[in-house]
Amino acid sequence: MSTFSGLSTALSSLNAQRQALQVSGQNIANANTVGYTRQRADLQSVDATSVPSLFSTPLGPGNGVASVGIARLGDDFLDARVRNQTSQASYNSANATTFNRLESVVAEPGDTGVAAGLQQFWAAWEDVSNAPDSGATRTALIGKAATLTHQIADTYRAYQGQWDQARTEATALVSQVNSAASSIADLNNQIRGVLVSGGSANELIDKRSELITQLSGLVGASSRAMPDGTVNVMVAGNPLVSGDRAQAIQVDGAYAMSPAIQEPPTVTNVVHLTWSSTGTPLVLDGGSLAGTLTSLQPGSYGGPIANAISKINDLATSVANAVNAIHSGGKTLAAPPSDTGVAFFTLAAGVPAAIGLSVAITDPNMVAAANTANGALDGSIADQISQLREGNSSPDAGWRNFVVDLGVTSEAATRKANVSETSRSVAENLQRSNASVDVDEEMTNMLSFQRAYEGAARVLTAIDQMLDTLINRTGLVGR
Amino acid sequence: MINRVTQQTIQRNTLANLQTNLGRMADLQARMSSGKTITKPSDDPTATGRTMAMRADQAAAAQASRNADDGIAWLGTTDNAMQASITALRRVRDLTVQASSSGSVGAASREAIATEIDGIRDQLLDLANTNIQGRAVFAGTTGDGVAFDDASSATPYAWHGTAGATVARRLSPDATVRVDSDGVAAFGQGATSVFALLDKISADLRSTPEVTGRLGEIDTKLNGMLSQVANVGIRYKQVTDAQSLIAAKIQDTTSSISGIEDIDLAETIMELKMQEVAYQGALGAGARVLQPTLMDFLR
Repeated sequence: MSTFSGLSTALSSLNAQRQALQVSGQNIANANTVGYTRQRADLQSVDATSVPSLFSTPLGPGNGVASVGIARLGDDFLDARVRNQTSQASYNSANATTFNRLESVVAEPGDTGVAAGLQQFWAAWEDVSNAPDSGATRTALIGKAATLTHQIADTYRAYQGQWDQARTEATALVSQVNSAASSIADLNNQIRGVLVSGGSANELIDKRSELITQLSGLVGASSRAMPDGTVNVMVAGNPLVSGDRAQAIQVDGAYAMSPAIQEPPTVTNVVHLTWSSTGTPLVLDGGSLAGTLTSLQPGSYGGPIANAISKINDLATSVANAVNAIHSGGKTLAAPPSDTGVAFFTLAAGVPAAIGLSVAITDPNMVAAANTANGALDGSIADQISQLREGNSSPDAGWRNFVVDLGVTSEAATRKANVSETSRSVAENLQRSNASVDVDEEMTNMLSFQRAYEGAARVLTAIDQMLDTLINRTGLVGR
Repeated sequence: MINRVTQQTIQRNTLANLQTNLGRMADLQARMSSGKTITKPSDDPTATGRTMAMRADQAAAAQASRNADDGIAWLGTTDNAMQASITALRRVRDLTVQASSSGSVGAASREAIATEIDGIRDQLLDLANTNIQGRAVFAGTTGDGVAFDDASSATPYAWHGTAGATVARRLSPDATVRVDSDGVAAFGQGATSVFALLDKISADLRSTPEVTGRLGEIDTKLNGMLSQVANVGIRYKQVTDAQSLIAAKIQDTTSSISGIEDIDLAETIMELKMQEVAYQGALGAGARVLQPTLMDFLR
């Protein structure tokens, strides 16, 4: 055993404690960094040197301590759980947003919605029935009818606007997915390089882990770790990132709402995702992009916007047809032969009913309030039209059912989003509680590293004094 | 699994809880300031359906109330005209009785009576042409403004209405009430009209035949008018009854809508207060947990 071996033991401790302290410093520095996973210096005792012979046993104490690496204290299972929950939560939240937006357009229950517009329209018919001779009530009726057509068209346009916005969102989300995927591929490459050269890639791994979680929120991605330190990111069973290669995805389908939600749906027009390289379609099972794409689907594929659009078109058609059927059988105040067979509403061809609906007549005298058999100032036809509001198959009841249905679906979607958000936050809390930095803990560690460092320094001093005694103060007898 | 607790998890949990608390506060605040419990269908889909149906009922009832008011005006006008017509016809009967007391009435008196009867005929014709806002109440659906032609026209005392055509006011989704009156039933038309009868009486008086025989005809006309006025009375009663029902319905639906849509102020204030206490508690707890670290105690 060398005289000086104690010195190097103390030195190894000084080095190791300093490095451990530095890791603590790094932890504290990143106490609030998003996605940072705490690290710890792995210290290991160094065995005593042994004489190279058969049955040799180490002589004396060990040779101090060595820092063998910096461990990243993450848990892959907790990470996977967070990703799984994030994918569901993002999907449900995107769905709930779609329904909330649909709901905010209808302005029901209230005095300004389509229901109120319908009520005022029917009441105007009764006023005409009461006073068929009054030009004022006829003009008021035409005004109320125009207001109703505008309300219906405005609702349609608001829904169309929502669809267009969702379409733009889908494109933006896809480019986010592609850029995240190529970043992950880059990071995979770097991490593999660092690990091969024996370095610590903890910070790069943190970054990559953040990106993968982001991808699970977008497209429901899951990851699979590879032996060389890289991860493969899977979307709907296919690799989005494999090693240092990323596959791009793209949105295909029409950019305008009408062809995209047209019935029966056509493969080319329906908005869907494909792999850029092969053109194979892919169906997502989670993530906000999946939610956005769902909202863009045609009604027969369960698209909520398309469904609302078809309901508002149905309303326009049913109002126009029901009113015209009775109105054309009535008699106007105009001279024959243009006094019967007059349509009250027109539905323009080639455009959606909600947009194409307009009041066909401008002259108040062309309102057919009278029955052909009775006198000119009869109001029975107007009265009959006003009673279209009654019954379970009336346009009013149809609209009411749509609103209630929308309310129920929206309530369910919001509740589902809240529940999955709760489980996501539980999963995230578990992950955070494992991976995040505890300042108190680091403080305690610093204390112990500092004390150990001081102790090692003291050992060094003691050995130094010992050697001093031996070298300088020995053999001085009689001097 | 016992969780490791770090500053970051405490921070996040505290923040999430504060968010939840503040969200509930905002929700209650929105309810308080708008006064509504339902601001969108998903707040309560069932109640939304009910209040929408009730709003439709309310709008229909409000319109029915306007219809009833209008109907009352029509029936009131008709009733007045009929009452005045009956009084006038009774006067004609009295005059006829007077004129038939033969021997005591001279030619000059008969002439005077005939002139008065002519006047009464004009008055009756006026009454029969009574209109409301330009529309003849005894020939509801005509656009001509009068119910009967006068004596000097090509078709004397012709009725302008359409048989079977009525003016009706809607009092409820399944009830309408007729507000005009059948001019033919009340006054007759053409040669068989009460006006033609009066003409005949006055002609008889001037040519001195016996007029006693006309009394029966007058009574027939009078009975016709009386049954019409009774009819108008019954319908008037029907409309006024409906008016009170409609008023009650409007009040009912209004209070039901308010019961469904509007907040209970006391309850909401209590909830808001409780939520405020919870929020302050969360803030206080957050302040206590987040502040200290080991550093405060190490020297």
